[in-house]
Amino acid sequence: MKVRLYGRLADAIGPEIELPDVSGCSVADLRERLAASHSAAAGALERSRALIGGSFVSDERKLADADLVEFLPPVSGG
Amino acid sequence: MSIVALLESQALDPQLELAELTEAARGDGAIVTFVGLARPESKDGNAVDALVLDFHPTLTRQSLEEIAVACGERFDVSHVRVVHRCGTVPAGEPIVFAGAASIHRRAAFAAADYLMDRLKTEAVFWKREVGDAGSTWIEPTEADLADRDRWG
Repeated sequence: MKVRLYGRLADAIGPEIELPDVSGCSVADLRERLAASHSAAAGALERSRALIGGSFVSDERKLADADLVEFLPPVSGG
Repeated sequence: MSIVALLESQALDPQLELAELTEAARGDGAIVTFVGLARPESKDGNAVDALVLDFHPTLTRQSLEEIAVACGERFDVSHVRVVHRCGTVPAGEPIVFAGAASIHRRAAFAAADYLMDRLKTEAVFWKREVGDAGSTWIEPTEADLADRDRWG
């Protein structure tokens, strides 16, 4: 599954990463997994909204390997 | 009524944007514009070489459009034009153009004020300053949020 990240999350984790074996995990599980492997991004991950297929999703949303998940930290504004 | 909301990855030319708005505003009596520049100094007094605006491939432009449309609905204006830079903006260069045209001046002044208060807090950008102090991510200040909240 692809995960796309923005702002300070992209800085800490990378703009796009590929994660194997996520089928059946929830968005919350993914958030925890990323925070565990990138502790510098944990705070920003907690405050980020998740997007799948262009729609915001809840932390309970189950993931499929084909999903593209995007995490959007709080915006800076223009 | 015309609404223009553009995300610009190259240089933004305020004169050109004003010319476009002026052309659209034939028959109106007022144009008010705001041009925001990338500041050469951070809040802490460190020299800033550039602002870098990370953006989302679809949501960023949508956010500009949504703010511009809401402005057109809220105020008695004929034309709204928002052009925002993304990517790397060297200090001193224009980062945003926000303009409105109306029959009488009050509506255009209020519309430009509203555009900027919302753009500063709600436009989908992730912004960092790059300079002497390294790279620093920026979020809206309390004052920015209070300015936005004036509009309810």
